[in-house]
Amino acid sequence: MEKKIAVYICTGCGIGDALDMEKLTEVVNEEGSAAICKTHGNLCGQEGLELIKKDMADEGVNTIVVAACSPRVLYDVFDFENCIVDRVNLREQVVWSHKPGDEDTQMMAEDYVRMGLAKANAMELPEPFKPEQEFSRDILVVGGGLTGMTAALEAAKAGASVVLVEKEPELGGFQKKVKQIATFPYKDLQDNPLDELIKAVTENEKIKVYTGAQVEKTVGGPGVFQVTIRQNGSSAEHAIGAIVMAAGWVPYDPEKLDDRLGFGASPNVITNTMFEDNYTGAKVTRPSDGKEVNNVAFLQCAGQRDPEHLPYCSTVCCVTALKQALQIKGQNPDANVFVVYKEMRTLGQAEDLYRKAQETGIIFIRSQDPEVKAEGDKLAVETLDEVLGESVLLEDLDMVVLATGMVPATAFGPDVAQEEKEAEGEEKKEEEELEVPLDVIRRSNILNLDYRQGPEPPALKYDFPDSHFICFPYETRRTGIYAAGCVRRPMGIASVKEDAAGAVMKAIQCIELTSRGAAVHPRAGDLTYPEFEMKRCTQCKRCTVECPFGAINEDEEANPLPQPTRCRRCGVCMGACPERIISFKNYSVPIIGDMIKSIEVPEEDEEKPRILVLACENDAYPALDMAGINRMTYNAWIRVIPLRCLGSMNLVWIADTLSRGIDGVLLLGCQHGDDYQCHFIKGSELADIRLSKVSETLDRLALESERVRFETVSIIDYPKLPALLDEFAATIDEIGPNPFKGW
Amino acid sequence: MSTKVNPNLMRELEEFGLKDANKCFHCGNCTAICPLSTEENPFPRKLVKYAQLGLEEKILQSAEPWLCYYCGDCSDRCPRGADPGETMMVMRRFLTSKYDWTGFARRFYTSETFEIIAVAIVGILVGLALWIFHADNPNMEHAALNSVWPAPAIEIGDLIMAAILTFFLLSNTWRCVKFVMGDLLKKVPLEIYATEAKELIIHFITQKRFGECTDRMQWIVHLLIMTGYSTAFLLVAVFLAGGIELVGLAWEPIRFQRDVIYPFFHPMRIFGYYATFAILYGTTYALIGRIKKSKAPYKSTHGTDWMFLILLQLTTLTGIFIHFCRLLDWAMATYVIYVIHLMFAIPMLVLEVPFSKWAHLAYRPVVIYLTRVKEKYYEMQKGTA
Ligand code: SF4
Ligand code: SF4
Ligand code: SF4
Ligand code: SF4
Repeated sequence: MEKKIAVYICTGCGIGDALDMEKLTEVVNEEGSAAICKTHGNLCGQEGLELIKKDMADEGVNTIVVAACSPRVLYDVFDFENCIVDRVNLREQVVWSHKPGDEDTQMMAEDYVRMGLAKANAMELPEPFKPEQEFSRDILVVGGGLTGMTAALEAAKAGASVVLVEKEPELGGFQKKVKQIATFPYKDLQDNPLDELIKAVTENEKIKVYTGAQVEKTVGGPGVFQVTIRQNGSSAEHAIGAIVMAAGWVPYDPEKLDDRLGFGASPNVITNTMFEDNYTGAKVTRPSDGKEVNNVAFLQCAGQRDPEHLPYCSTVCCVTALKQALQIKGQNPDANVFVVYKEMRTLGQAEDLYRKAQETGIIFIRSQDPEVKAEGDKLAVETLDEVLGESVLLEDLDMVVLATGMVPATAFGPDVAQEEKEAEGEEKKEEEELEVPLDVIRRSNILNLDYRQGPEPPALKYDFPDSHFICFPYETRRTGIYAAGCVRRPMGIASVKEDAAGAVMKAIQCIELTSRGAAVHPRAGDLTYPEFEMKRCTQCKRCTVECPFGAINEDEEANPLPQPTRCRRCGVCMGACPERIISFKNYSVPIIGDMIKSIEVPEEDEEKPRILVLACENDAYPALDMAGINRMTYNAWIRVIPLRCLGSMNLVWIADTLSRGIDGVLLLGCQHGDDYQCHFIKGSELADIRLSKVSETLDRLALESERVRFETVSIIDYPKLPALLDEFAATIDEIGPNPFKGW
Repeated sequence: MSTKVNPNLMRELEEFGLKDANKCFHCGNCTAICPLSTEENPFPRKLVKYAQLGLEEKILQSAEPWLCYYCGDCSDRCPRGADPGETMMVMRRFLTSKYDWTGFARRFYTSETFEIIAVAIVGILVGLALWIFHADNPNMEHAALNSVWPAPAIEIGDLIMAAILTFFLLSNTWRCVKFVMGDLLKKVPLEIYATEAKELIIHFITQKRFGECTDRMQWIVHLLIMTGYSTAFLLVAVFLAGGIELVGLAWEPIRFQRDVIYPFFHPMRIFGYYATFAILYGTTYALIGRIKKSKAPYKSTHGTDWMFLILLQLTTLTGIFIHFCRLLDWAMATYVIYVIHLMFAIPMLVLEVPFSKWAHLAYRPVVIYLTRVKEKYYEMQKGTA
């Protein structure tokens, strides 16, 4: 496509007052690549847009630079079909955050316009990815418990065809054996309506159910999954669009509990799930002799919220204990029922059930470490009542029920990373490379993905296959695979239903976007995707290892086999590739390189240092905008380039920057580590690791290491940004000018 | 040593009027809000927990129920509607019955029928006795009570009644002391007991702890009833005896209940009027409050509470009638009302004072006193250690 570039500079929102528009237009004209340069008082208004459209129609303009407000606003307004558009942020990051009419402010605006032009010159119009295989819109639900069945029905209701795979011979999962449930509105116990659900699922024509079956293999990616299901020795193949993973949970193994909880010391010490197994709706009896129970103690948090066992709260066992205690009280109102708890976690309206339990006379004792005393058939619990500060004794108990917790089905099986380490043996250790810590991926035999990084979605914490609890609910770190229900996090019935519906909605979204060649969350709608110039690939495996979403497979010769429908367009592979062969149509190593090169570097004696800021587009860049919106001012030596993710930062940019005489580089990314904020999970961490290798470059150029710095910024940190930028500028000023200036 | 949990105690306490204690989820708001709770003696949450866990021994040793004056602040602030103030009240009933060795108090508290019948029987006995033992030739011209029931006879009756009452009350109070002090009883040196005795008297007279509560009206009402009652009690039990000619203790100017009509400003009359006004005002306020359930302490009313107020009010009202009948010199009316008056007053004194709500008149100051004694003792221990 022959480019015809036009630059439109808006003079509204204070831009025209703060900057010398004539000089700015001159910059465009001098630079020479743009055929048209116009200013307008209100570019986003009807008239402004007409102006652009008219040039497109009459003059054949097909590449536009809009120098106006932040690209984060009005993106839907400055959207022209079949036209390359780049936005130059003159408003939030220039005139709203710097002194009006100032020389430095003017220079800043001019540089940004040059950078915009450089980008417009280098980028291309994206062409959406169209897979070769036939596209499927069917949804696979793995797990036929309450979550899975709810998900299947929700998907069917939304018009999708569903394949439901359950490993047990019957549908129902854990809930199958549960007689009564305690759920919204928590006024009373309810009969479990599960059988109706099973019926609805089995009778639904859009749902194909496999029971006693397993997913043997999952190949491909969203829209083009090929799933092999094994049932009774035979296999079936299905083309699948997206997957809901509802594999559920298993109870924590009570054998592992501390001895003081008494499991195994008496048959009358049981767990909450054993209670469910035994409860038939008839009388609750003592396991040892079948006598009706009269005195029962429930011990909460058995091996839960305990770093030695399950460090987390399973959230349902408090309500379950209330339910079971009420069941005992229901059969015998004179029964003595005790609940020994750390904290009663009855969230939301579940508090009503707690009230009800109290009113029936169930006795609650707050205590951290109850001890079960079993001697012969005598059973007692001794515990320090925290409220009284006194030790109390519950005697003559018929039964003790331990509240054990939920372990996700993904927590079992060997960890792939460990396996690899063992296989590699000693030799690898010597290298002592600064490696990205590998994800925990267990062979839990749920999806059996044919992915290079491992057969299941990676775990985030405690073996739950989550990606980011708050920002991206339902999302695993594998595109098109959505976790729901207790495999995602421990939850009760009410949340499970919501979860099932939510995950299905994400699956449908994914199918829809993928069918248009667009990315899913967090770059939803992005039509670009990474393209590999395979001729120059050295099979170094950096991209296949570092891709946070496992989107790239490998052939036998270690050639990367990208699967674009699995890709989230973060650009981490692009940052990782030492050969720089991975690029997007509008985002590549050369494009950013050109932008850096277009920055004018004043001579040393002008005493105007330059600082390049590479800012994560998701948090740091919006934070800079926020600073501008709040009219906070900061140093005008900086030039900001937004990155899709800091993980897409290629070290060559740092080398380029410094060898051009720019005095410092500041990387602004999200927090990483345990409480990471990175939208692409490991991007900022990878950037930080890569940066640790930059010292070689700096040494080679004989530059001070303080010239390059990494800072974590979240969007709410914007009030601190100006100080941070000013301080870095001061440091750079102190170090003195980059000796490469003018080379 | 761990204390054994006994869930059955809650059921027992229910008989004493416990209703909502099982709703408590131990937040401690009540203890935080209670104006009288202290670090050394925190309540009422502790007592609510004792009730829930059935720690009877702990309850028996507790002084806290008597430190509470039932202002109701805690019940107002309880987020669970567990009515901790009422639990404290129940504790007082429970303790009263535990202190009482005769078992009467327990029957009173746990059976309204028993209470009514007991009061009725004593009342009828009193009526019969007055009917039988009256003088042969009463003065029907003028209202002269001593002509019907000669002063010495009344005095003897009064003495007998006072003896019974004192015996039960003192023996029960002694048990209270033993429960509250436990092992400490003998360990604490006598001088501490002696120096703290002052507190006992001050508290009794001023009810000053109650004054620390936020609702001053409760304190005023309580003070009125208490002082009114005490005044009347003194008039009857002491000054009536002031005329005890039998043992030569007569002191003419302050005889109570003689056929002489004192001048208006005579102290006996002033005291009498004060007692009448105070009791009448206090009980009427409390009765109306309880009927309307106007504030937390009046929300749940036990049978004994009604009995207490009703007997007190009837005694006072009949007392007023006697007074007027005498002033009007209506002989027959005076005598009849006098009989009725005693039929209310005597059961109230012999039954309510040692066995029911009135007993707190003794227990509360004594326990406050003992609490002080204990505190002083511990301070001393700390000092020497
Ligand atoms: S729900 Fe209750 S018992 Fe279960 S882990 Fe949480 S706090 Fe403990
Ligand atoms: S690293 Fe990011 S851009 Fe590259 S393949 Fe993976 S998901 Fe796509
Ligand atoms: S305020 Fe109510 S719930 Fe809280 S501790 Fe007191 S009685 Fe219990
Ligand atoms: S009624 Fe008043 S004095 Fe008694 S415990 Fe409650 S707040 Fe304290």
